Amino acid sequence: MLFFRSEEHIERWCRAWRFDKGAVIPIKQGWELARAWYSDDRRQPEWRRRTLEETEAVFASLGFTSEFWSLR
Amino acid sequence: MDDRVRWHVYDVTMTEGTPPSVARLASLLGASEEDVAASLARLAAARMLVLQPGSGEVLMAGPFSAVPTPFRVTLPTFSCYGNCIWDALGIAATMRSDARIDTSCADCGAAAEVRVEDGAVAGGGFMHFALPPKLWWQDVVFT
Repeated sequence: MLFFRSEEHIERWCRAWRFDKGAVIPIKQGWELARAWYSDDRRQPEWRRRTLEETEAVFASLGFTSEFWSLR
Repeated sequence: MDDRVRWHVYDVTMTEGTPPSVARLASLLGASEEDVAASLARLAAARMLVLQPGSGEVLMAGPFSAVPTPFRVTLPTFSCYGNCIWDALGIAATMRSDARIDTSCADCGAAAEVRVEDGAVAGGGFMHFALPPKLWWQDVVFT
């Protein structure tokens, strides 16, 4: 996941590198995603990767419900 | 064994900013390098870590990177690198710390600074997810 100054720069980068435009998230919302995703202490023995359902719940809690975010 | 290896990987990383080598893990655990390497391989197969091709050393202990990237994170206690902009923010989140992220626009190369202060992010800009989540692990380094 790369950082861009603006959506215009994302669109230019996608054209230059022949990528379809994916999901664009303002940095403040990216911070909320990072907090939701990385809040657990991975040193803890009980830590495990999220299940598909748990991952979907994290995305849904942030409003990421479009087909792009579908895991199925 | 795998839980102990993972604990040491993250304990060193969260203390110093960089994942430990196989040799250091073996020393910390009082185990052979072969056993540590096998454990790391199992953790990687379970997608808890990403290893460097060939050497079997840790490449990614998410959100931390073992190698320099365009996402440098400076905390009050150490500096380190995130695997991507999301992971750079994730380092501040997992460390529950203020942080400064020095990065650049992937399109034009202009330097940019993102700050996390008192649990909030300061600075503008955007994250772009080129691939949908269901494809992230097809090539996690590219992702």
